[in-house]
Amino acid sequence: MIKRTIYIGKPSYLKLKQKQLVVQEVETKLIKGTVPIEDIALLMLDHYQITISNQLLIQLQGNNVAVVSCDEHHLPFGMMLPLYGHSEYSERIKYQLVASEPLKKQLWKQTVEQKIANQEALLVLNNKVSEPLAEYKLTVKSGDTTNREGMAAQYYWKHLFNNFSRQRFGEAPNNLLNFGYAVLRSIVARALVSSGMLPVLGLFHKNKYNAYCLADDIMEPYRPFVDKLVYNYVNGFRDHFELTKQAKAHILTIATQDVLIDGVVRPLFVAVTTTTASLYKCFTGELRQIKYPELD
Amino acid sequence: MSVNRFSAYRIMWVFVFFDLPTETKRERKAASLFRKKLIADGFTMFQFSIYLRHCPSRENAKVHTKRVKRSLPKHGKVCILEITDKQFGNMELFHGIKEVDVPQPTQQLQLF
Repeated sequence: MIKRTIYIGKPSYLKLKQKQLVVQEVETKLIKGTVPIEDIALLMLDHYQITISNQLLIQLQGNNVAVVSCDEHHLPFGMMLPLYGHSEYSERIKYQLVASEPLKKQLWKQTVEQKIANQEALLVLNNKVSEPLAEYKLTVKSGDTTNREGMAAQYYWKHLFNNFSRQRFGEAPNNLLNFGYAVLRSIVARALVSSGMLPVLGLFHKNKYNAYCLADDIMEPYRPFVDKLVYNYVNGFRDHFELTKQAKAHILTIATQDVLIDGVVRPLFVAVTTTTASLYKCFTGELRQIKYPELD
Repeated sequence: MSVNRFSAYRIMWVFVFFDLPTETKRERKAASLFRKKLIADGFTMFQFSIYLRHCPSRENAKVHTKRVKRSLPKHGKVCILEITDKQFGNMELFHGIKEVDVPQPTQQLQLF
């Protein structure tokens, strides 16, 4: 089932009434809408004048909703998730904690391979030269010790957009990409929590300042889907790189993008939960391959 | 994602029609409790004593039907009806003799 994404970009009071999220306009006290909490997946708060009641927050967490708040640049800044989103939480974490180093390296190898494959598919889709990526994909080693990921990315960014360098604080469309990745990250982190895993403990990402290492690992093969959305947006509206409401609405459709996973076409939002469930099975030894989406 | 792909997930609408006795205080209380439970489950009023809910999939519709069944009042008549989004879209609605639009399916992405 595909759950809903709610974006709040105007001054509002958010409260709980009969298990519904109620959005009220601040000045007129007009009720602008109600949404059943159990239908929400992602609640994005993008305005300084949003007031939210604690009772509502607790209900949101009880339903495993990712609450994302945005900063003054309108980029997602913080994310709130429940401490545990699965009934077997303790058991599942045990498996994650004792995962061996070779296993993690294998999983990271699969992740990088699929990421490069998706990057390659996106280049092919836009009639760009993609041969080097095919070669990088075939030479990924366990744990990606030869950094094929970085080499592929360098080639990929150079050829996807003209005169573009991918940097967090770089020129547009970096801002659009950042927004998309942040949304994707919260979707992935939410799915990890609901599969009973710690998003802190990564396969490859180990930065001590990063609280979502595992989410950053697992989202890698999904990144090209964001790139595709941004690419189409930028191409559709030339010279229109600002992070407007329209741009955000376009990028927020990431949750409903079609992806091919495990032989079936599913919305990305559903596919992410398939991936995290298969990741858990890899930790327990039931599976040898993480299920990742394919871009086509 | 196109509308067609969404309907592959079989968007459903669940209707609840009810006629509940309101003669005594106890009956009124039971009736209002039932109505409140419907609202808490995400149903909205369509007409007096007719509530409906948008469900993104068939399985989800079953869940909500089951919940309504669990909260049924002791007396009175209740009817639960599940219809597909397509059938719902074919509904004709009138205000007086003026035709009005059928409510839109809930958007997956909602901007406030």
